[in-house]
Amino acid sequence: MNTFYEGLAEILEVDASELAPNFSFADANADWDSLAIVSTIALVDDTYNVMLDGKSLAACEKVADIEALIDAARSRNA
Amino acid sequence: MVATAKIADIAGHLPSQILSNEELAALYPAWSAEKILDKTGIRQRHIAAPGETAGDLAMCAARKLFARGVIGPEDVDFVILCTQAPDYILPTTACVLQHRLGIRTSAGALDVNLGCSGFVYGLSLAKGLVETGAARCVLLLTADTYSKYIHPLDKSVRTLFGDGAAATAIVASDDPAPAIGPFVFGTDGSGAQHLIVPAGGFRQPRDASSAVETPDDSGNMRAPEHLYMNGAEVMAFTLREVPRTMKALLEKANATAESIDFFVLHQANRFMLEALRKKLHVPADRLPICMEDAGNTVSSTIPLALESMRQDGLLASPKRLMLIGFGVGLSWAGCILSI
Repeated sequence: MNTFYEGLAEILEVDASELAPNFSFADANADWDSLAIVSTIALVDDTYNVMLDGKSLAACEKVADIEALIDAARSRNA
Repeated sequence: MVATAKIADIAGHLPSQILSNEELAALYPAWSAEKILDKTGIRQRHIAAPGETAGDLAMCAARKLFARGVIGPEDVDFVILCTQAPDYILPTTACVLQHRLGIRTSAGALDVNLGCSGFVYGLSLAKGLVETGAARCVLLLTADTYSKYIHPLDKSVRTLFGDGAAATAIVASDDPAPAIGPFVFGTDGSGAQHLIVPAGGFRQPRDASSAVETPDDSGNMRAPEHLYMNGAEVMAFTLREVPRTMKALLEKANATAESIDFFVLHQANRFMLEALRKKLHVPADRLPICMEDAGNTVSSTIPLALESMRQDGLLASPKRLMLIGFGVGLSWAGCILSI
C-alpha cells in the first residue's frame, strides 16, 4: 500500500512513516475534512481504479477503515 | 457557399474587489493561506460589488472585446449570455445587454442557464447559428457572480469560486475546414442536488425558513438560499465522465491524444485538475492550470484560460485544442477547437 500511504500522508499532512492501519485521524489531530475526503477519492481512484463513496469515507475514523472500503470496492469490481 | 464558424477574438473581465487567501485564512482557523493556495491553486478571487451583476460584468467583457477592434457592436447579429445569476427573473439579461452594448435591434438574444459546462454549450449553439446561415457574428458572453450565493463561512465553496466574465466572438469564415467541433455532450440530472442553490426558485421560494443557517459536519455554515456543493460527489462524477468525454471526442474526431496541443479543461481547482491530468495521462505542459488570480469563475474559466494562453504566447501559431466543461446540472460537454 506504499503509493496509497504516501498520498494519504500528503493529504493528512503527516509523515508517511507515521501511517499504519490503526492510525486515528482524531488522535493525530489530522484534518479529516471535506477536502481530505475529496482528495482521497482521487487518490484511491488513481491507485486502485475504484471509486469510493464520500459518505462512507466521511465516517472513517482510522486508516484501516479506508482500507476496508477499498477492499470492499475492489472485490465488487473483481 | 456554406460558411464555417470560428472564434475571432476573446476578452475577459474580472471585477475589481479581491478576496485573498489571507482574508480567508483569518476566517477558517484550520487552513493557512499557503494551504489554500497549495490545494486549490488559487491565490485570490475577484468579487462583484453589491449591485454589480453578471450582466454588468458581461457588458465590461464585451466592451473590452469591441475595444480590441476585431469585431464591433455593429457586427453582432446574435447575443448568447450564459449565466446562473441573471439581472432579473425576467426579462432576459441578454436582451438588456443588446441595448446596453448598442447592438442593433435586428439581432437575436437569449440566455442560457448553465454553469461550468456553459462555454462549450455556448460554442455549439454559436456554431449552429453560423453554419446554418442564421447569423454571421455571434457574441457569446459568459458571466457569473456565484459569490452572491455563497455564505461567508462556507470554506468548501468560498475558497474556490470567483466572479468573472468573458466575451467571445464567433464569426463566419470562408475556410472549408470547420474550426469548432465535433462536440460531445452529457447530462445527468440525477446528480442535480450535488451542486445547487436549493431555495430562491419556485420549487422552494425564499422565505424566513430558507434563510435559516445551519453548520455542516465540516463546520461550514449555509442556509437553503446559499450555494451547496457535495465535493465528494462532484469529484467522483468528474473522474468518471471527463475521461469518457475525452475518449468519445477523440473517436468522433478520429484523432489521437497526441494530435491535441492543449487540453483546456474547466478550471475547477488545482487538485481536481491534477487528478484528471493523471487519469487522462496528459503531460502537465499540455493541460494548463490558469486560475491562480481568478479562481473558479464557472462558465468563464475556459475563455479566461484561452485569453491567458494567448497572452503567454501559447496560441501564437495555429493550435488544436480539446475543451471540456463539467459541473452543475450535472452537465458536461467537450469539443475540438482549432484556433
